Amino acid sequence: MTNAYVLNDIKVIHQQRCVLDIPHFTIPSGKCIALLGENGAGKSTLMNLLAFTERPRHGSIQLFDQKIAGKLNSSQRRRIGVVSQQPYLLAGSVTDNIRLALKLQHIESSQYPILIEQALEQLNLSQLKDQSAQSLSGGELKRAAIARAIAYDPDILLLDEPFSHLDQRHIRQLENAIQSFAKQTNKTVIFSTHDQPQGLAIADETLNLHAGKITAAPLFNLFHGALNQHNFNTGKLIIHAASDLPNARHIAIDPREIIISRQPLESSMRNSFNGHVILIAQEKNAIRLTIDCEERFQVIISPESLTQLNLALGDAVWLSFKSTAVTVF
Amino acid sequence: MTYFIDSLIAALALIMSFDSHIYRIVATSVSISLIASLIAAILAVPAGVFMALNRFHGKAFIQHLLNTLMAMPTVVIGLLLYGLFSRLGPLGHWGLLYTPIAVIIAEAILIFPIMMNLTITAVNSADPRLKPTLISLGAGHLSLAINVIRVTRFAILAAIITGFGRAIGEVGAAMMLGGNIEGFTRTMTTAIALETSKGEFELGLALGLLLLIIAFVLNFLLSWLHRPKP
Repeated sequence: MTNAYVLNDIKVIHQQRCVLDIPHFTIPSGKCIALLGENGAGKSTLMNLLAFTERPRHGSIQLFDQKIAGKLNSSQRRRIGVVSQQPYLLAGSVTDNIRLALKLQHIESSQYPILIEQALEQLNLSQLKDQSAQSLSGGELKRAAIARAIAYDPDILLLDEPFSHLDQRHIRQLENAIQSFAKQTNKTVIFSTHDQPQGLAIADETLNLHAGKITAAPLFNLFHGALNQHNFNTGKLIIHAASDLPNARHIAIDPREIIISRQPLESSMRNSFNGHVILIAQEKNAIRLTIDCEERFQVIISPESLTQLNLALGDAVWLSFKSTAVTVF
Repeated sequence: MTYFIDSLIAALALIMSFDSHIYRIVATSVSISLIASLIAAILAVPAGVFMALNRFHGKAFIQHLLNTLMAMPTVVIGLLLYGLFSRLGPLGHWGLLYTPIAVIIAEAILIFPIMMNLTITAVNSADPRLKPTLISLGAGHLSLAINVIRVTRFAILAAIITGFGRAIGEVGAAMMLGGNIEGFTRTMTTAIALETSKGEFELGLALGLLLLIIAFVLNFLLSWLHRPKP
């Protein structure tokens, strides 16, 4: 399998602050990857590096095993489609915008009609093809920008926070569009999101960024505090962790490793807290619960479990997890 | 007061009678200013777009220089070009002094910084996402510039019209380099200045009114270009 990107010894410094520090990282081609992290974790900076719109202060990036020294040449540029967080469409119709992209990529004009039609169909935009870009809603605008980016059939699609500021209906449409592009042979999709369950739901792999560094820990249930002899103090709760890393400042707990019950469980699990349900949300094939036990926990359960437990908002519940489910870093 | 009103009536009569003398002056003035604006635009628009789209050493210095040149008195430009084009000057053998070409060169130099500065402002006031979007879609240097001009075309056209307005109202350099030769280099402004001093107040007033009408049309065009978009 070829690599879409190989990052080596990357350092990006903004105003004397290191915002991204990646010693080595490889992104294989043909995968749908969610770039997860809180605001300010360095997601947009990494997206800019992958789009080659920003250069790192230090280090090198390879695109399909080619080291990129300066700017991308036209054939390299054609392999990457980029959709920014707030996409900009030029004046004119949706079709005009797609046509411009094809023109800028030096694609033969005889191919325009078929490529435009394909892109519009893939994003379910055929009915809006003649609509002025200025009159599109937020969700339509994002889909039009994705149609424009995939019209020239790039190998990589980069999407910066594609789901932000969208309602559920538009999020579903976008998720389907991203997944249908990713399903094609050897297409790489990298999208950033701060909504971790959503990223997990549609991506093959997740790439977790925390304070400019890639971390193996899932960034769910991320708590900051201090670790003292396996006991991590968040300031509100003491959570027992299996590992005892010196100087560790953060822990993360996989939401699928947390067990929900109506009564306290008698088990070997070292962590058990009671709280109440404050949010129940449907994800793809799963239910996401938010439980308030002084700290807020995200828990993912199956729809069957939700029915079985007969949970409703405000219900008192117990959550339990093993100390091995706690990643310390 | 009667003198002024009588002169105004005479001036209006001159305009309404389509006096060939007056309209020849207007035609000279408009053609010289149009050619000067065209030359200045061909140079200033690409230069302004390049300057707005790129970061390079000395950019701030060029910006300061442009601001200084915008405020340069027209007679100073006239004086410098007079030195170059006069018989004893380094370009004296070109024989340009007291020709429309000399006036065109002077006016083009005069309005170049205005057009370039306004073009820079036009591009800078475009949506900040425009440039990264075009680059990410594969635009090279030339296609980037062409598409930025396409998006900001109304503001750039306003820059050209402003330059033309400045050129047609210019008097100092036109006087020094053109010499107010009838049918050749006599422009509206030089005619107003010189004919009035010779006692031809009606002619000056008629030309002044026509200049005002041109200024009004230009301002109307500018406000039409800057009208709020629906």
